Amino acid sequence: MRTTNLFKRLSIGGAALWLTIFAVLPFVLIAGTSFLTRDEGTFVSLRFSLQGYAGIADPVFVEVLRQSLYLASGATLLCLVVGYPFAYTLARWRGRGKAVLLLLVIIPFWTNSLLRTYALVFLLKGKGLVSAVLVWFGIVDQPVSLLYTELAVFIGLVYTLLPFMILPLYASLEKLDNSLLEAARDLGANRLQTFMRVTVPLTMPGIIAGSMMVFLPALGMFYIPDLLGGGKHVIAGNFIKDQFLTARDWPVGSAASVVLTLLMACLLLAYHASSRRVHRHGAQGFDGGKA
Amino acid sequence: MRQLVASLMLVLLLAGSAAAAGKVYVYNWTEYIPEQVLSRFTEETGIEVVYTTYDSNEAMYAKVKLLGGEGYDVVVPSTYFVNKMRREGLLTPLDRSLLPHFGNLNPAILDKPYDPGNEFSVPYLWGGTGIMVNADYVDPTEVQSWKGLWSEALKGRLLLQNDLREVFGIGLLLKGYSLNDTNPEHIAEVYELLRTLIPSVRVFNSDSPKLAFLGEEVAGGMIWNGEAHMALQEMESLKFVWPREGGILWMDNFVIPKGARNLENAHAFINFMLRPDVAAMCCEEYGYPTPNVSALGLLPDDLRNSPVVFPPDEVVERSEFQNDVGDAILVYEQYWQKLKAGK
Repeated sequence: MRTTNLFKRLSIGGAALWLTIFAVLPFVLIAGTSFLTRDEGTFVSLRFSLQGYAGIADPVFVEVLRQSLYLASGATLLCLVVGYPFAYTLARWRGRGKAVLLLLVIIPFWTNSLLRTYALVFLLKGKGLVSAVLVWFGIVDQPVSLLYTELAVFIGLVYTLLPFMILPLYASLEKLDNSLLEAARDLGANRLQTFMRVTVPLTMPGIIAGSMMVFLPALGMFYIPDLLGGGKHVIAGNFIKDQFLTARDWPVGSAASVVLTLLMACLLLAYHASSRRVHRHGAQGFDGGKA
Repeated sequence: MRQLVASLMLVLLLAGSAAAAGKVYVYNWTEYIPEQVLSRFTEETGIEVVYTTYDSNEAMYAKVKLLGGEGYDVVVPSTYFVNKMRREGLLTPLDRSLLPHFGNLNPAILDKPYDPGNEFSVPYLWGGTGIMVNADYVDPTEVQSWKGLWSEALKGRLLLQNDLREVFGIGLLLKGYSLNDTNPEHIAEVYELLRTLIPSVRVFNSDSPKLAFLGEEVAGGMIWNGEAHMALQEMESLKFVWPREGGILWMDNFVIPKGARNLENAHAFINFMLRPDVAAMCCEEYGYPTPNVSALGLLPDDLRNSPVVFPPDEVVERSEFQNDVGDAILVYEQYWQKLKAGK
């Protein structure tokens, strides 16, 4: 008993210490820097100022945020559209090879995502495989290059982030109680009604969790728009990097980073609230059914 | 048996000398010193090279500055960062008596305003940005001026560097201003001009612009002469031009940061890089001109006579070297974000 307690304390304490040093402390430093003054000689000088926030209260930063949100939400939606049927089929799969299919979802993680993005460059370019296949099937007459287009950016984001959508969806679809679906059918619901009114609400936690896991990293993955989109999209990640390195304006870079963190925090809070509501709602509906 | 003992002793001696000779910490641009040059240095001197790389002056500067000049023995900033780091006291004065090969350098590029008397820096390679087009799509005579980038044939097929100083350089040269202009009104004017070029851009790339040319993703754009030289050898239809208004020139230099621990090894390394055979090897590998006069004779004829690799004198005369713009970088940065965000 005592050893388990000690183990519990050590592991929780270790995790807390780790998070304090590598997550909380850096954030406190960045939040602090956002209220300091830029200094050409020493990067920042220890004088309070709101210059950092004044620097991002600029139409350009709003546009950068808009582009980031557009790419991230587009990628999330596409991942959901592609991932849901896949996760659904996988969860209902009664044949053999289910473990293999799951493994196939995870295998891409074994290779660094930057390398996989470079591989996509070679697939999508004008003299690449995708173009050759399209020509061979006669879908287009001339080689087409998808590289350096917005489509390429979405392909890259969806490709990289799809597993993060599929896995939580799969987990919630797997738990889905088959008898509820049968009950819906017995009560005269057709397939679409069953899906929309039973399956989707019950897997909502998975949908929200998957969407968060795609949306949040998509905001920061600036190497994908840079490599596949030709660097034409400035997303929040590029903006912050440029402020720190090129302009050497740490307060502005920090302020942008704080705003982004707060935005993500708001989304996580919304997720928390909605998942609680879904749980309560789901439970109520279930009780009502029994009564 | 005696041979065995002898060779064993030799190995021990070599190992001993290598350990005694110690290390030199070199911090350099990616792909900028051939692997075999580094291993030859270790072979000859017994000094182990601990080699790390960066991809921009800005990243290098931030790191050296944060570390207070400690941790690295040799760094390779461009001229305008030599100037900045020198003024901020981040560099160690060089001991010329430890650099006997210094005399191999072309006197014409020494003693410039960024480092008078070369007290702190030794030129390594230099180069410049010009225009490259694919003659299958664009007539090279159309791009004798930077204005040629606005050509109809380049709409949607244009490559620009992903670097604000380079891109603003185009506009500054066209407007007849200095590459290093710090007047906010001039910068605003250049921004208005460049805005009309952005819709033509297919890709912003500074990692390896030649790949977009070789894949025929783009038909023309700005490119460093070394990258262009390598691309020209792989594809007949590519042509490189030094524009009428001049190229955008830069030069990279060896310096020793203030807090370097292995001063003697750092000098030995810089001196080794100044050796004619070594300088020739670096020039051949990357296609950038070497300021090392003694190395020229060791280069193959086609390289030495290439107007792409070695810009002719009249090109250098009408071109300008990039320099530090001080706080004006904030103005540039603001307009750069505006330019790229398209608003």
